[in-house]
Amino acid sequence: MIRSLAGSGRRLVAMALMMALAGCAGRQSALSPAGEDASWLHDLWIVMLVGAVILWTALNGLFFFVTRVRPNDWPERHANRLIIGGGVIFPTVLVGTLLAYGLSMMPHMRADGDGLVVKVRAEEWWWRVEYWPAGATAPIVTANEIRLPTGQRTELLLDANKYIHSFWVPALGGKMDMFPGRETRMTLRPETPGVYRGQCAEFCGPSHALMAFEAVILTPGDFAAWLEAEAAPAAPPATPEAQRGQTLFRDEGCGACHAVRGTEFDGLVGPDLTHLASRQSLGAGIMEVTREDLTDWIAHTRDIKPEVAMPAYDWLEAAELADLAAYLEGLK
Amino acid sequence: MTDPKTQTGSRQDEFEFFEESNALWWITLAPTTWAVHFVLAYGGTAVWCAKFGETQGVTVARLSIAGLTVLALGFIGWLGWRSVRRWKPRQNDMEDLSHPEGRHEFLGHAAFLLCIISAIGVVYVAMPALFITTCR
Repeated sequence: MIRSLAGSGRRLVAMALMMALAGCAGRQSALSPAGEDASWLHDLWIVMLVGAVILWTALNGLFFFVTRVRPNDWPERHANRLIIGGGVIFPTVLVGTLLAYGLSMMPHMRADGDGLVVKVRAEEWWWRVEYWPAGATAPIVTANEIRLPTGQRTELLLDANKYIHSFWVPALGGKMDMFPGRETRMTLRPETPGVYRGQCAEFCGPSHALMAFEAVILTPGDFAAWLEAEAAPAAPPATPEAQRGQTLFRDEGCGACHAVRGTEFDGLVGPDLTHLASRQSLGAGIMEVTREDLTDWIAHTRDIKPEVAMPAYDWLEAAELADLAAYLEGLK
Repeated sequence: MTDPKTQTGSRQDEFEFFEESNALWWITLAPTTWAVHFVLAYGGTAVWCAKFGETQGVTVARLSIAGLTVLALGFIGWLGWRSVRRWKPRQNDMEDLSHPEGRHEFLGHAAFLLCIISAIGVVYVAMPALFITTCR
Protein backbone atom coordinates (compact mmCIF):
# COMPACT_ATOMS: atom_id res chain seq x y z
CA MET A 1 0.00 0.00 0.00
CA ILE A 2 2.72 2.44 1.09
CA ARG A 3 4.87 1.36 -1.86
CA SER A 4 2.04 1.97 -4.31
CA LEU A 5 1.37 5.41 -2.74
CA ALA A 6 5.04 6.30 -3.03
CA GLY A 7 5.00 5.17 -6.67
CA SER A 8 1.95 7.35 -7.41
CA GLY A 9 3.60 10.27 -5.67
CA ARG A 10 6.72 9.90 -7.79
CA ARG A 11 4.64 9.73 -10.97
CA LEU A 12 2.73 12.86 -9.93
CA VAL A 13 5.95 14.75 -9.22
CA ALA A 14 7.42 13.62 -12.56
CA MET A 15 4.25 14.75 -14.41
CA ALA A 16 4.20 18.10 -12.62
CA LEU A 17 7.89 18.60 -13.44
CA MET A 18 7.32 17.74 -17.10
CA MET A 19 4.38 20.15 -17.31
CA ALA A 20 6.36 22.89 -15.59
CA LEU A 21 9.35 22.39 -17.90
CA ALA A 22 7.12 22.28 -20.98
CA GLY A 23 5.95 25.76 -19.97
CA CYS A 24 9.56 26.98 -20.30
CA ALA A 25 9.73 26.26 -24.03
CA GLY A 26 7.80 27.76 -26.91
CA ARG A 27 7.82 30.85 -29.08
CA GLN A 28 6.70 33.21 -26.33
CA SER A 29 9.07 32.22 -23.58
CA ALA A 30 11.85 34.24 -22.01
CA LEU A 31 13.39 30.89 -21.05
CA SER A 32 13.76 29.89 -24.69
CA PRO A 33 15.86 32.80 -25.98
CA ALA A 34 16.29 33.50 -29.69
CA GLY A 35 18.37 36.65 -29.39
CA GLU A 36 21.35 38.12 -27.59
CA ASP A 37 19.27 40.31 -25.25
CA ALA A 38 16.94 37.43 -24.30
CA SER A 39 20.01 35.24 -23.62
CA TRP A 40 21.33 37.85 -21.17
CA LEU A 41 17.96 38.01 -19.45
CA HIS A 42 17.77 34.22 -19.37
CA ASP A 43 21.20 34.04 -17.69
CA LEU A 44 20.18 36.82 -15.29
CA TRP A 45 17.03 34.89 -14.37
CA ILE A 46 18.97 31.67 -13.73
CA VAL A 47 21.62 33.44 -11.62
CA MET A 48 18.96 35.32 -9.61
CA LEU A 49 17.00 32.11 -9.07
CA VAL A 50 20.09 30.24 -7.86
CA GLY A 51 21.02 33.18 -5.59
CA ALA A 52 17.48 33.36 -4.17
CA VAL A 53 17.38 29.62 -3.56
CA ILE A 54 20.76 29.72 -1.78
CA LEU A 55 19.68 32.67 0.37
CA TRP A 56 16.28 31.18 1.19
CA THR A 57 17.71 27.74 2.00
CA ALA A 58 20.60 29.07 4.05
CA LEU A 59 18.53 31.48 6.13
CA ASN A 60 15.66 29.06 6.71
CA GLY A 61 18.20 26.31 7.41
CA LEU A 62 19.74 28.58 10.01
CA PHE A 63 16.35 29.23 11.62
CA PHE A 64 15.64 25.51 11.61
CA PHE A 65 19.04 24.78 13.12
CA VAL A 66 18.70 27.21 16.00
CA THR A 67 15.04 26.43 16.76
CA ARG A 68 14.92 22.64 16.21
CA VAL A 69 18.39 21.11 16.01
CA ARG A 70 20.07 23.14 18.77
CA PRO A 71 17.29 24.97 20.60
CA ASN A 72 19.31 25.16 23.84
CA ASP A 73 21.08 28.31 25.04
CA TRP A 74 24.03 29.46 22.99
CA PRO A 75 27.11 31.19 24.33
CA GLU A 76 26.67 34.87 23.46
CA ARG A 77 29.83 34.97 21.39
CA HIS A 78 28.69 32.08 19.18
CA ALA A 79 25.19 33.48 18.82
CA ASN A 80 26.59 36.85 17.80
CA ARG A 81 28.84 35.25 15.22
CA LEU A 82 25.91 33.32 13.77
CA ILE A 83 23.67 36.40 13.61
CA ILE A 84 26.32 38.74 12.21
CA GLY A 85 27.79 36.21 9.78
CA GLY A 86 24.59 34.48 8.67
CA GLY A 87 22.10 37.31 9.08
CA VAL A 88 24.10 40.37 8.04
CA ILE A 89 27.33 39.69 6.15
CA PHE A 90 26.21 36.69 4.06
CA PRO A 91 22.92 38.19 2.73
CA THR A 92 24.54 41.60 2.18
CA VAL A 93 27.40 40.15 0.14
CA LEU A 94 25.13 37.78 -1.80
CA VAL A 95 22.50 40.43 -2.63
CA GLY A 96 25.29 42.93 -3.45
CA THR A 97 26.90 40.43 -5.82
CA LEU A 98 23.57 39.73 -7.54
CA LEU A 99 22.94 43.48 -7.85
CA ALA A 100 26.39 44.03 -9.38
CA TYR A 101 25.84 41.13 -11.80
CA GLY A 102 22.45 42.51 -12.89
CA LEU A 103 23.75 46.07 -13.24
CA SER A 104 26.75 44.92 -15.28
CA MET A 105 24.31 43.84 -18.04
CA MET A 106 22.62 47.20 -18.37
CA PRO A 107 25.22 48.93 -20.58
CA HIS A 108 24.84 46.16 -23.22
CA MET A 109 21.11 46.73 -23.33
CA ARG A 110 21.62 50.39 -24.08
CA ALA A 111 23.89 49.66 -27.03
CA ASP A 112 23.49 51.61 -30.27
CA GLY A 113 21.69 50.09 -33.25
CA ASP A 114 23.54 49.02 -36.42
CA GLY A 115 21.45 51.16 -38.79
CA LEU A 116 17.92 49.81 -39.18
CA VAL A 117 15.31 51.68 -37.13
CA VAL A 118 11.82 50.30 -36.57
CA LYS A 119 9.21 52.68 -35.17
CA VAL A 120 6.26 51.05 -33.46
CA ARG A 121 3.19 52.95 -32.27
CA ALA A 122 0.69 51.17 -30.06
CA GLU A 123 -2.91 51.85 -31.17
CA GLU A 124 -6.20 50.56 -29.75
CA TRP A 125 -5.53 47.51 -29.93
CA TRP A 126 -3.03 46.97 -32.69
CA TRP A 127 0.50 48.00 -33.76
CA ARG A 128 1.47 50.57 -36.38
CA VAL A 129 4.95 49.74 -37.70
CA GLU A 130 7.41 51.77 -39.79
CA TYR A 131 10.76 50.55 -41.13
CA TRP A 132 13.48 53.14 -41.57
CA PRO A 133 16.55 51.46 -43.13
CA ALA A 134 19.81 53.42 -42.75
CA GLY A 135 19.64 56.55 -44.91
CA ALA A 136 15.90 56.24 -45.67
CA THR A 137 13.96 59.47 -46.15
CA ALA A 138 10.51 57.86 -45.99
CA PRO A 139 9.35 54.83 -44.03
CA ILE A 140 8.04 51.49 -45.25
CA VAL A 141 4.73 51.20 -43.43
CA THR A 142 3.14 48.00 -42.24
CA ALA A 143 1.23 46.76 -39.19
CA ASN A 144 0.79 44.07 -36.56
CA GLU A 145 4.02 42.26 -37.33
CA ILE A 146 7.70 42.92 -36.67
CA ARG A 147 10.35 41.47 -38.95
CA LEU A 148 13.99 41.75 -37.94
CA PRO A 149 17.26 40.45 -39.37
CA THR A 150 19.59 38.16 -37.44
CA GLY A 151 23.11 39.18 -36.50
CA GLN A 152 22.53 42.92 -36.28
CA ARG A 153 21.21 45.24 -33.64
CA THR A 154 17.98 46.98 -34.64
CA GLU A 155 16.83 50.11 -32.88
CA LEU A 156 13.15 50.21 -31.89
CA LEU A 157 11.55 53.59 -31.22
CA LEU A 158 8.29 53.15 -29.38
CA ASP A 159 5.31 55.36 -28.56
CA ALA A 160 1.56 55.09 -28.20
CA ASN A 161 -1.55 56.78 -29.53
CA LYS A 162 -3.87 57.09 -26.55
CA TYR A 163 -3.11 54.68 -23.69
CA ILE A 164 0.03 53.29 -22.10
CA HIS A 165 1.07 49.95 -23.61
CA SER A 166 4.20 47.82 -23.40
CA PHE A 167 6.20 46.14 -26.16
CA TRP A 168 7.42 42.66 -25.34
CA VAL A 169 8.75 39.74 -27.37
CA PRO A 170 9.97 37.45 -24.57
CA ALA A 171 12.09 35.30 -26.89
CA LEU A 172 13.98 38.38 -28.15
CA GLY A 173 14.48 40.63 -25.12
CA GLY A 174 13.04 42.65 -22.28
CA LYS A 175 9.89 44.72 -22.32
CA MET A 176 9.61 48.46 -22.84
CA ASP A 177 6.65 50.69 -22.02
CA MET A 178 5.03 52.81 -24.74
CA PHE A 179 3.60 56.20 -23.78
CA PRO A 180 1.45 58.70 -25.67
CA GLY A 181 3.61 61.73 -26.47
CA ARG A 182 6.89 60.26 -25.30
CA GLU A 183 9.30 58.12 -27.30
CA THR A 184 11.03 55.20 -25.60
CA ARG A 185 13.87 53.23 -27.10
CA MET A 186 15.25 49.73 -27.05
CA THR A 187 17.57 47.71 -29.24
CA LEU A 188 17.33 44.01 -30.10
CA ARG A 189 19.82 41.64 -31.70
CA PRO A 190 18.00 38.45 -32.77
CA GLU A 191 20.08 35.35 -33.45
CA THR A 192 17.81 32.45 -34.43
CA PRO A 193 15.47 32.71 -37.44
CA GLY A 194 11.89 31.77 -36.65
CA VAL A 195 8.45 33.12 -35.82
CA TYR A 196 8.05 34.33 -32.24
CA ARG A 197 5.14 35.93 -30.45
CA GLY A 198 4.97 39.38 -28.95
CA GLN A 199 2.30 40.67 -26.62
CA CYS A 200 1.25 43.99 -25.12
CA ALA A 201 2.52 43.68 -21.55
CA GLU A 202 0.73 46.64 -19.94
CA PHE A 203 -3.01 46.46 -19.32
CA CYS A 204 -4.44 48.89 -21.84
CA GLY A 205 -8.19 48.31 -22.04
CA PRO A 206 -10.84 45.74 -22.94
CA SER A 207 -8.84 44.13 -25.75
CA HIS A 208 -5.44 44.21 -24.05
CA ALA A 209 -5.17 40.40 -24.07
CA LEU A 210 -5.98 40.42 -27.81
CA MET A 211 -3.17 42.85 -28.66
CA ALA A 212 -0.39 40.55 -29.83
CA PHE A 213 1.85 40.31 -32.88
CA GLU A 214 4.19 37.95 -34.64
CA ALA A 215 7.92 38.67 -34.61
CA VAL A 216 9.48 37.07 -37.67
CA ILE A 217 13.25 36.71 -37.53
CA LEU A 218 14.96 36.32 -40.90
CA THR A 219 18.52 35.92 -42.12
CA PRO A 220 19.91 39.25 -43.45
CA GLY A 221 19.43 38.12 -47.08
CA ASP A 222 15.83 37.03 -46.53
CA PHE A 223 15.14 40.22 -44.58
CA ALA A 224 16.47 42.44 -47.38
CA ALA A 225 14.31 40.56 -49.93
CA TRP A 226 11.25 40.83 -47.70
CA LEU A 227 11.80 44.55 -47.07
CA GLU A 228 12.10 45.20 -50.80
CA ALA A 229 8.83 43.34 -51.41
CA GLU A 230 7.18 45.15 -48.51
CA ALA A 231 8.15 48.53 -49.98
CA ALA A 232 6.45 47.69 -53.29
CA PRO A 233 2.83 48.73 -53.99
CA ALA A 234 0.00 46.24 -53.59
CA ALA A 235 -0.68 43.64 -56.24
CA PRO A 236 -3.80 44.44 -58.32
CA PRO A 237 -6.73 42.02 -57.88
CA ALA A 238 -6.11 38.94 -60.02
CA THR A 239 -9.50 37.20 -60.09
CA PRO A 240 -13.06 38.41 -60.81
CA GLU A 241 -13.93 37.64 -57.20
CA ALA A 242 -11.04 39.82 -55.94
CA GLN A 243 -11.98 42.59 -58.39
CA ARG A 244 -15.52 42.59 -57.00
CA GLY A 245 -13.96 42.65 -53.55
CA GLN A 246 -11.92 45.73 -54.41
CA THR A 247 -15.06 47.49 -55.64
CA LEU A 248 -16.81 46.60 -52.37
CA PHE A 249 -13.76 47.83 -50.44
CA ARG A 250 -14.21 51.19 -52.19
CA ASP A 251 -18.03 51.32 -51.91
CA GLU A 252 -18.11 50.40 -48.23
CA GLY A 253 -15.60 53.15 -47.45
CA CYS A 254 -12.87 50.80 -46.17
CA GLY A 255 -10.22 52.98 -47.82
CA ALA A 256 -11.14 55.89 -45.57
CA CYS A 257 -9.47 54.07 -42.68
CA HIS A 258 -7.08 51.61 -44.36
CA ALA A 259 -4.25 52.35 -46.78
CA VAL A 260 -3.41 50.02 -49.67
CA ARG A 261 -0.35 51.51 -51.39
CA GLY A 262 -0.63 51.69 -55.17
CA THR A 263 -4.40 52.38 -54.98
CA GLU A 264 -6.54 55.37 -54.08
CA PHE A 265 -7.07 53.91 -50.59
CA ASP A 266 -4.97 56.02 -48.23
CA GLY A 267 -6.73 55.98 -44.85
CA LEU A 268 -4.54 56.30 -41.79
CA VAL A 269 -6.95 55.38 -39.00
CA GLY A 270 -6.54 51.61 -39.17
CA PRO A 271 -3.72 49.25 -40.10
CA ASP A 272 -2.02 49.50 -43.50
CA LEU A 273 -3.25 46.54 -45.60
CA THR A 274 -0.84 46.76 -48.57
CA HIS A 275 0.69 43.32 -47.93
CA LEU A 276 -1.84 41.96 -45.45
CA ALA A 277 -1.82 38.45 -46.94
CA SER A 278 1.94 38.08 -46.51
CA ARG A 279 1.57 38.51 -42.73
CA GLN A 280 1.45 35.67 -40.28
CA SER A 281 -1.68 36.81 -38.47
CA LEU A 282 -4.85 38.89 -38.63
CA GLY A 283 -6.37 41.26 -36.06
CA ALA A 284 -3.04 41.80 -34.22
CA GLY A 285 -1.91 38.25 -33.58
CA ILE A 286 -5.28 36.64 -32.86
CA MET A 287 -6.43 35.03 -36.16
CA GLU A 288 -4.96 33.60 -39.33
CA VAL A 289 -5.02 35.25 -42.77
CA THR A 290 -7.44 32.72 -44.26
CA ARG A 291 -10.68 33.20 -46.19
CA GLU A 292 -12.67 31.93 -43.22
CA ASP A 293 -10.99 34.16 -40.62
CA LEU A 294 -11.13 37.22 -42.90
CA THR A 295 -14.90 36.94 -43.40
CA ASP A 296 -15.39 36.21 -39.72
CA TRP A 297 -13.35 39.28 -38.76
CA ILE A 298 -15.05 41.69 -41.19
CA ALA A 299 -18.53 40.60 -40.09
CA HIS A 300 -17.90 40.36 -36.33
CA THR A 301 -15.04 42.71 -35.45
CA ARG A 302 -16.41 43.90 -32.12
CA ASP A 303 -17.50 40.44 -31.02
CA ILE A 304 -13.99 39.20 -31.64
CA LYS A 305 -12.16 42.27 -30.32
CA PRO A 306 -14.25 44.35 -27.87
CA GLU A 307 -14.31 48.14 -28.44
CA VAL A 308 -12.08 48.01 -31.52
CA ALA A 309 -12.61 51.06 -33.76
CA MET A 310 -13.57 49.07 -36.86
CA PRO A 311 -17.34 48.51 -37.10
CA ALA A 312 -18.71 45.04 -37.84
CA TYR A 313 -19.88 44.77 -41.47
CA ASP A 314 -22.60 42.30 -40.57
CA TRP A 315 -25.06 43.57 -43.16
CA LEU A 316 -22.95 42.24 -46.04
CA GLU A 317 -24.12 39.07 -47.76
CA ALA A 318 -21.97 35.97 -47.44
CA ALA A 319 -20.98 36.26 -51.11
CA GLU A 320 -19.92 39.88 -50.62
CA LEU A 321 -17.86 38.96 -47.58
CA ALA A 322 -16.22 36.21 -49.63
CA ASP A 323 -15.37 38.72 -52.38
CA LEU A 324 -13.87 41.16 -49.86
CA ALA A 325 -11.86 38.34 -48.31
CA ALA A 326 -10.67 37.28 -51.77
CA TYR A 327 -9.42 40.83 -52.44
CA LEU A 328 -7.60 40.97 -49.10
CA GLU A 329 -6.15 37.48 -49.61
CA GLY A 330 -4.59 38.73 -52.84
CA LEU A 331 -2.69 41.53 -51.05
CA LYS A 332 0.52 39.55 -50.81
CA MET B 1 11.47 75.72 50.58
CA THR B 2 12.44 73.04 48.15
CA ASP B 3 14.89 70.49 49.29
CA PRO B 4 18.18 71.22 47.41
CA LYS B 5 18.72 67.48 47.03
CA THR B 6 15.35 67.01 45.32
CA GLN B 7 16.07 70.02 43.12
CA THR B 8 19.38 68.50 42.06
CA GLY B 9 17.60 65.21 41.36
CA SER B 10 14.99 66.99 39.27
CA ARG B 11 17.66 68.78 37.24
CA GLN B 12 19.43 65.48 36.76
CA ASP B 13 16.17 63.95 35.49
CA GLU B 14 15.60 66.88 33.15
CA PHE B 15 19.11 66.55 31.77
CA GLU B 16 18.68 62.81 31.24
CA PHE B 17 15.30 63.33 29.58
CA PHE B 18 16.84 65.98 27.31
CA GLU B 19 19.69 63.68 26.42
CA GLU B 20 17.41 60.70 25.70
CA SER B 21 15.04 62.74 23.57
CA ASN B 22 18.12 63.90 21.64
CA ALA B 23 19.20 60.29 21.34
CA LEU B 24 15.84 59.48 19.79
CA TRP B 25 16.57 62.07 17.12
CA TRP B 26 20.11 60.77 16.89
CA ILE B 27 19.00 57.29 15.78
CA THR B 28 17.09 58.79 12.83
CA LEU B 29 20.18 60.53 11.42
CA ALA B 30 21.70 57.57 9.57
CA PRO B 31 18.45 56.50 7.81
CA THR B 32 17.82 60.16 6.97
CA THR B 33 21.29 60.38 5.41
CA TRP B 34 20.47 57.28 3.37
CA ALA B 35 17.14 58.83 2.25
CA VAL B 36 18.75 62.17 1.32
CA HIS B 37 21.52 60.36 -0.59
CA PHE B 38 18.85 58.35 -2.45
CA VAL B 39 16.82 61.42 -3.42
CA LEU B 40 19.87 63.41 -4.51
CA ALA B 41 21.39 60.51 -6.48
CA TYR B 42 18.23 59.54 -8.36
CA GLY B 43 16.58 62.97 -8.56
CA GLY B 44 19.86 64.69 -9.48
CA THR B 45 20.61 62.17 -12.22
CA ALA B 46 17.07 62.46 -13.64
CA VAL B 47 17.34 66.26 -13.80
CA TRP B 48 20.88 66.15 -15.21
CA CYS B 49 19.95 63.65 -17.91
CA ALA B 50 16.78 65.56 -18.85
CA LYS B 51 18.65 68.89 -19.16
CA PHE B 52 22.19 68.04 -20.24
CA GLY B 53 22.32 64.28 -20.88
CA GLU B 54 22.19 64.41 -24.66
CA THR B 55 25.02 66.90 -25.02
CA GLN B 56 27.24 66.26 -22.02
CA GLY B 57 26.68 62.60 -21.14
CA VAL B 58 26.36 61.29 -17.63
CA THR B 59 29.93 61.65 -16.30
CA VAL B 60 29.19 64.69 -14.13
CA ALA B 61 26.22 62.93 -12.54
CA ARG B 62 28.30 59.78 -11.88
CA LEU B 63 31.13 61.79 -10.28
CA SER B 64 28.62 63.71 -8.19
CA ILE B 65 27.10 60.46 -6.96
CA ALA B 66 30.59 59.19 -6.09
CA GLY B 67 31.27 62.37 -4.09
CA LEU B 68 27.88 62.23 -2.38
CA THR B 69 28.44 58.59 -1.52
CA VAL B 70 31.82 59.29 0.08
CA LEU B 71 30.27 62.12 2.10
CA ALA B 72 27.27 60.01 3.15
CA LEU B 73 29.40 57.03 4.15
CA GLY B 74 31.82 59.30 6.04
CA PHE B 75 28.96 60.88 7.97
CA ILE B 76 27.33 57.51 8.69
CA GLY B 77 30.74 56.17 9.80
CA TRP B 78 31.10 59.08 12.23
CA LEU B 79 27.55 58.51 13.51
CA GLY B 80 28.36 54.82 13.94
CA TRP B 81 31.51 55.60 15.94
CA ARG B 82 29.59 57.97 18.23
CA SER B 83 26.83 55.39 18.61
CA VAL B 84 29.29 52.72 19.69
CA ARG B 85 30.68 55.11 22.29
CA ARG B 86 27.18 55.64 23.60
CA TRP B 87 26.45 51.91 23.54
CA LYS B 88 29.72 50.95 25.35
CA PRO B 89 29.57 47.30 24.21
CA ARG B 90 32.51 46.26 26.42
CA GLN B 91 30.74 47.44 29.58
CA ASN B 92 27.19 46.32 28.70
CA ASP B 93 25.86 42.98 27.62
CA MET B 94 22.46 42.51 25.95
CA GLU B 95 20.80 41.91 29.32
CA ASP B 96 21.86 45.40 30.51
CA LEU B 97 20.24 47.01 27.48
CA SER B 98 16.85 45.50 28.27
CA HIS B 99 16.42 47.47 31.52
CA PRO B 100 15.17 51.07 31.78
CA GLU B 101 18.54 52.04 33.26
CA GLY B 102 20.22 50.86 30.09
CA ARG B 103 18.05 53.04 27.83
CA HIS B 104 20.93 55.34 26.93
CA GLU B 105 23.12 52.41 25.88
CA PHE B 106 20.19 50.71 24.12
CA LEU B 107 19.65 53.80 21.96
CA GLY B 108 23.37 53.77 21.10
CA HIS B 109 23.08 50.12 20.11
CA ALA B 110 19.97 50.78 17.97
CA ALA B 111 21.64 53.77 16.31
CA PHE B 112 24.69 51.65 15.50
CA LEU B 113 22.55 48.95 13.84
CA LEU B 114 20.73 51.63 11.83
CA CYS B 115 24.12 52.99 10.75
CA ILE B 116 25.02 49.56 9.36
CA ILE B 117 21.80 49.15 7.35
CA SER B 118 22.03 52.76 6.14
CA ALA B 119 25.62 52.28 4.95
CA ILE B 120 24.56 49.15 3.03
CA GLY B 121 21.63 51.10 1.57
CA VAL B 122 23.87 53.97 0.46
CA VAL B 123 26.28 51.55 -1.27
CA TYR B 124 23.41 49.74 -3.06
CA VAL B 125 21.87 53.05 -4.16
CA ALA B 126 25.21 54.22 -5.57
CA MET B 127 26.07 51.00 -7.40
CA PRO B 128 24.17 51.75 -10.65
CA ALA B 129 26.44 54.78 -11.14
CA LEU B 130 29.41 52.40 -11.29
CA PHE B 131 27.97 50.49 -14.23
CA ILE B 132 25.69 52.79 -16.21
CA THR B 133 27.62 54.99 -18.60
CA THR B 134 24.81 56.67 -20.51
CA CYS B 135 21.59 58.57 -19.82
CA ARG B 136 19.58 56.16 -21.99
